Amino acid sequence: MRRDFRDDELFDEIRLRRALRLDAAELPPRFDLATVAVRAADRPASAFAGLLSTAFAGMATAALTGLVAVALPAIAPAVGSELFDAAIQTVTRAAVPLSAVLAAAQQPSIPLAATFALAVAVAYEYAQRRERLRATTS
Amino acid sequence: MAASVALRLNLPMTLTSPATFADGVREHQDEVYGVALRITGNRDAALDVASSTFLKAYRAFHRYDQTRPLRHWLLRIATNEAISYVRKRGRELRRIVAVDEATGVADVSAAPDAESVAREDRARVRAAVSQLPELYRVVIVLRYFNDLSVDEIAQVTGRPASTVGVQLLRGRALLRGALEGAR
Repeated sequence: MRRDFRDDELFDEIRLRRALRLDAAELPPRFDLATVAVRAADRPASAFAGLLSTAFAGMATAALTGLVAVALPAIAPAVGSELFDAAIQTVTRAAVPLSAVLAAAQQPSIPLAATFALAVAVAYEYAQRRERLRATTS
Repeated sequence: MAASVALRLNLPMTLTSPATFADGVREHQDEVYGVALRITGNRDAALDVASSTFLKAYRAFHRYDQTRPLRHWLLRIATNEAISYVRKRGRELRRIVAVDEATGVADVSAAPDAESVAREDRARVRAAVSQLPELYRVVIVLRYFNDLSVDEIAQVTGRPASTVGVQLLRGRALLRGALEGAR
């Protein structure tokens, strides 16, 4: 058992190594060191462009945040009161039918104890019948 | 020779020390490209990853600790670059890899000789590896493509060796499941 497991593991490993090896057709072209050096020398320009775009994005974000900060106190009360109105209306709409259900649950016309006792009696009777049936058939 | 390469490329003179950047690129470029190819599953992506690996290595070569193996340092950069590449372009890459795999399926009507069976098996294993979650794919590739030990993988990935061991086991189990399911 243990040996089979080891064989499986070895097979997996050999199979994996074989599969992942680079085929002759997959070999990459030679990397040109001169190109790498030239690209590395381009760095200041790209770094400056990156810095510029970051600064621009930062300024845009700051402007947008400032605009929101200025406009918010003006529109907040109106938006807030409308939202509050809508929330109150929704709660009222749900509360009316729910109150009737709650009242019925609090004052049941049939006592809960009687309903429960009836259920227990039905279950007991059913179990007895099954027992009798099993006794006569076996 | 190393000095002339360094001068020709306008590299700092520190690069002319025993392990030069040029030597590193020459010696390890197949391995760097290979790890990128096996992690991304796509040739163009692997070329991009390998190029940016060498670019980053070139820029950071003065910080490279020469008492440690250059191979591990390059593989660490390549692995990180490949992971970032897959994270950035994951969806697009998966679509391209799926198309490549679909077009690369062998003609089943042809008589299956030993070589075509082996080729098909390799393709199946590679497809299964490319479908592994990145966490497991990286350790599987470093173990079975680059032939690194668990401790070396831990150094390259920066994960604890015990974690690497567990991830290798789990990765192999996932691969086995995927390959058995594909049968």
